[in-house]
Formats: sequence, structure tokens, C-alpha cells
Amino acid sequence: MAYEKSDKKPEENDIPVRLKGVGDSLWVTFDPGRSPDVLKVALAKPFERLGYLAVNARVILDPCGREVAESLVKILENFLRQEFQVGQVSLPPSPRPDKAKIEKREQDTKSGWGNADGDTVIISGRVRSGQKVEAKKHLVILGDLNPGAEAISGGDIIVMGNLLGTALAGQPDNEQAVIIALDFRPTQVQIGGFVAAGVPSTPGIHPEIARVEDNCVIVDDYVKASPFKRLAWPKIR
Amino acid sequence: MEGKIIVVTSGKGGVGKTTVTASIGAALALQGKRVAVVDMDIGLRNLDVVMGLENRIVFNIVDLINGRCKIRQAAIKDRRINNLFLIPASQSDDKNAIKPEDMSKICEQLKKEFDFTFLDCPAGIEQGFKNAIEAADEALVVCTPEVSAVRDADRVIGLLYARSITPKLIVNRIIPKMVQKGDMLSHEDVVEVLSIDLVGLVEMDDAVVIATNTGTPLVMQKDSKAGKAFTRIGMRLDGHPDLPVEDPSSQKSLWKKLGITFSRKNRIAS
Repeated sequence: MAYEKSDKKPEENDIPVRLKGVGDSLWVTFDPGRSPDVLKVALAKPFERLGYLAVNARVILDPCGREVAESLVKILENFLRQEFQVGQVSLPPSPRPDKAKIEKREQDTKSGWGNADGDTVIISGRVRSGQKVEAKKHLVILGDLNPGAEAISGGDIIVMGNLLGTALAGQPDNEQAVIIALDFRPTQVQIGGFVAAGVPSTPGIHPEIARVEDNCVIVDDYVKASPFKRLAWPKIR
Repeated sequence: MEGKIIVVTSGKGGVGKTTVTASIGAALALQGKRVAVVDMDIGLRNLDVVMGLENRIVFNIVDLINGRCKIRQAAIKDRRINNLFLIPASQSDDKNAIKPEDMSKICEQLKKEFDFTFLDCPAGIEQGFKNAIEAADEALVVCTPEVSAVRDADRVIGLLYARSITPKLIVNRIIPKMVQKGDMLSHEDVVEVLSIDLVGLVEMDDAVVIATNTGTPLVMQKDSKAGKAFTRIGMRLDGHPDLPVEDPSSQKSLWKKLGITFSRKNRIAS
């Protein structure tokens, strides 16, 4: 039900009023800079053509995003009600919040590690307090695990940075799992069902490895006491 | 040009968010900016007391959101500093009295009226925190050199990043003597864990206690170390991001420096 087929705004081609059907309403775009009399004359033309279709119709008066005086809206509303017996007359609804903008503000969580579904997960960055990283099998963190953060894996956990939070490797019952960190100062570590807390850190920063030996979690210097050195043949973990 | 909405947050309570909000707001207002400070701690307001404006409250942020007043009615003008305004919290409502969407609408209006709007966020990460960060363009995370404060600040930083807000760090209440003895975390330790941009280091200062109890602006006290630090933070936020951050632990007076030089010379001589 479009009566004036043009995408241009009214002021661009000097037509002060434009009318089109939108849903169950008549959408009237008008130039608020024109005098009420000019607008009335311009409104009368399309509404006369509508005839009885305008009776009780819902009309939206759209000033094309420009500021409009309340008095002018009232004048036009009264004119349309009296002359053409239209129903409800209103200004256009306020624009909805920009969806793209909202999504942009939340994109970090969407593209984050929470959506990783592979067996072995490699993540980069800093895992902060309150955040939890999980992997079905091995977990590699190229960054730091801060105090209050949790890393949970079914296999090994390797932290290429500071391990200051809680690391739970070999969950629920893989006692062969290991935890390796370049700076090993965790709040707590668990390997399988074995828990170790308050692991004293040796002075200086050097890579360390935690593993289960004789039903006990042992922490050793990785370079000096790596258990993998003794393996006769390389194997997949 | 639209103003900035900056939320001042920490996670942990009692680290100095309200003092930081009042002081940086005052510092920027003294630099000629039009500043509003908004108390978001609904039900437990105290920014009004810190600023010495508690007896002038008629409307509050809840009234503003519910359309019972306009910004100009709710914003209380500071008597001492031109361009500084306080929008107080309600003392009789709770945090659920407003929603994040309400804050977005109000902040759009505040941006048009003020160059800087500081939101004094309540402690915690519940509804009050969510309301405060909803419309924030930037965030200042206040942290003291304590393990618990660092832990909470880290949690808050994660939540801010999740909302695509890049936070900046203020380390508050540094006691240089304790840092030198190794009894207190140094600001380097704090920055290492939190790994965000440092915008200021504030030394423990008795003047803060006096200023907050008497409701006088800290930045107007010329001999206050904390006041000077807040002034510099204000300058960094206002177009001077490269202004060096002074380390209170390494600050020494001229006489002390001279004393050290002389004692070295004497030692060499002897």
C-alpha cells in the first residue's frame, strides 16, 4: 500500500509529506521545518485518496529523525482526526538498542575458550580469578594461571608461564598425568585422586613437574628430574 | 563531543573506591572539566559524606531513573569546586531498584551534560556491579597491595574484559617502608598478576582519613602525597597518558638524597 514510491527524504525532492503502509499502520514521514498549513495541504492529498481506508487507521508521524515541536504534532493529529477520522496517532517508536553493538561488547566470551570442544586444548592468555578452563584430555596454557583460577583436565596440564591457581590434572582417576609449569607456585594441585596443597616453591624461576609417585604428589625440577628422560621409546600421551 | 563514563571498581570492599572517585573527580574539575560523580552503592551511600554534601541531598539516582527529577535537580553542585557535581545514591532502596538498561539511558544523558562521569561501584560482583558497568566506556580498578584485594581485582578484571571494557589499574595505600622490608606486595607484584595498564600509585596518607571525615577535597590539600597522586591520575585520564607514574617506594626528599650522597662520600673518604 505504498502511495509515493521514493526512498528520498521529503526535503530532498521538496515534497513535505510522504505516506506508506507499514504493518497495520499508515507511516507518514514529514518535514517538520514546514508550516502547519503547508503540511495540512500536503497531508490532505494522500488521505483523500485513501478515503474510508483511513477511518480508524493507526497513523505514525515520523519527522525523519529531526526534532519536532509537540504543538506541531498535536496540530497534525487533530487535523487527521477531524478531517479523515483516523484512529491512534503517535510518533515512531524509539529505535531499539543496536544489536551489533551489544554483541560486540560480549564477543570476548563468545570467542573464548569456553567453546573449545577438542580433546586437547591449547589456549593463550591469562586465566584470571574465577575463570575455569577445562579439557577432556591434555591442557596447554600459553600464559599464566592466576590465583583463584582453575585448570581441569583429563590428562596433563602444561603451563608455559606462572602457575599460581589451582590445577587438577588426570581427572577423575588418571594417576599417570603430570602438571608442568615454568613457574610452579600453585594454590593447590590434584593428580587423579591425590591432592597436594601448599607446595613450597624453590627460589628462582625454573620449570617444575608434579607427578604421583608412591601414592604421593612429588614436585621436581623438570630439567634435572624429568621422568620422561628414562623412557626407552617416545610414546604418545 | 560526548563525555566519558568511567566506572571505579575493585571487587573487594574497603580498598578506597569512594576516595578515588571523589578525588579524581575533584582533580579533573579543578582542571576545568565538567565532572559528575555518581554513587552507585544503593542502600549504603557514602560518597556524599566523603564530599561533604550529605545535608544537601533532595533527589537521588533512583529518583532520576524513575523520572521523578531531572539531572539538573539530582546533581548537587560542590561548594568549593566549580564544575563538580554529585548524584547521590538512595539510602532507602536496594540494588534491585535499578536495572542495567536504566543505567544505559541515564548515562547517555550524562554524557551530553558532563565531560567525565565517574560511577562509584559497590563492592562485589552482583547486581550493583552489573548496573555500574553496563554503560561504562572505561574502568578504573582500585587495588591495595594485599593478596585478597589482588584476587578480587583479578576477578573483576576478567568480568570487565568479558564486557569488552579495558580496565586501568590504581594501586592504593602503598606503604613504602613495608614494601622495602618485604612485608607488603610491591606495585610490581600487583601489576605482574593483574597485567593491565597502570594509571597511578597512591601512597598511604593520613590526610585521606582527615579529608574523608571532614568532607574536604583531598586534592586541594597541597601537602598531601595522595592528593598529588590523584591529581596526576586525573591528568593521565585527561589527555596526558604518558605522564610518568611516580613510585612512592623510590621517592626521597632532596635532603635525604643529599644525606645519602654525603654519607657515601664520607664512607669513601674514611
